[in-house]
Amino acid sequence: MLLAQVILQGLPEAIPVNPIARWVWVFPVVESIHICGFTLLVGTVTILDLRLLGLCFRQQSISQVAKNLAPWTNTGILIQLITGAYLFSGDAGEYVQVAAFRSKMLLLLLALIFHFTVIRKATAAAQDSAPLGWRMPAAVVSLGLWVSVLLAGLWIGNL
Amino acid sequence: MSFLSFCQWLSQTPLSIWLRDAPYPYPVLLIVHVISIALFGGTVVIGNLRVLGKTMRSVPVSQVIGQFRAWKWVAFAILLVTGTLVAMSDPMEYYDNIMFWISLGVLLVAGLNAAIFRYGIYRSVSAWDEAAVAPASARRWAGVSLFLWIALIFAGRATAFF
Repeated sequence: MLLAQVILQGLPEAIPVNPIARWVWVFPVVESIHICGFTLLVGTVTILDLRLLGLCFRQQSISQVAKNLAPWTNTGILIQLITGAYLFSGDAGEYVQVAAFRSKMLLLLLALIFHFTVIRKATAAAQDSAPLGWRMPAAVVSLGLWVSVLLAGLWIGNL
Repeated sequence: MSFLSFCQWLSQTPLSIWLRDAPYPYPVLLIVHVISIALFGGTVVIGNLRVLGKTMRSVPVSQVIGQFRAWKWVAFAILLVTGTLVAMSDPMEYYDNIMFWISLGVLLVAGLNAAIFRYGIYRSVSAWDEAAVAPASARRWAGVSLFLWIALIFAGRATAFF
């Protein structure tokens, strides 16, 4: 038990090597980048979902909108995974025990899987001439998943 | 009445006390505010990136901006209302918070920048609407715009830190 505690939290008297655990201002700065990243990620996902619901870019095909947004959505995912992992590293042993954090990771996994399977299929060029059909509820599920990831993130911050 | 005494009066109003002390208002405001940041930020970023020629190059600039106009204004209105209510929940706290005033300053400059674009270079959009990359003067606006909105996120987050 003691060994596990030392591995997770370091020696009690030691000055943390990790900047985020050492200086208080590092956390809000990294978190600001994390907020920019989620704006890019959730913002572009929302635009794509709105397109699937027929609420914007109706003159452009779904696959064209998807192709244009994908690099920016993927950039957002990359920023989130890097900054998120770094925020986590500041107090890893604590986070893994928190229900909000575990929920967020589970929801994030679901949202990513849904995005790269169902939404990818829904926005494929082969589907462009087909009626919206099942793709409208899929867009709603996508929006719901990403918003719930965001809510779980706020929940972690409020604990 | 000085601004300080106005803030003191405001913090004693029933609305302010309710926002501050009731369990639900603050988290609900925060959630709605953050979701609106994603919608507003997403549309602003894609609009600016289109001007910079980094996305949707085959779609006319005015069409990209036009598609988002309604969504952008709805999200912005929600941001203003929820932001104002959060400030009203604790006027004395924000009165003393330098980062809060810096945030408002950045917001003002970002708004002015958007207005200068809208009523300046954007009036000639028909001349460069179809271009994959907008002229340098428009691109400069888009770059400054992106920088200012990112700065607002940093200043807004820092408000909670100070």
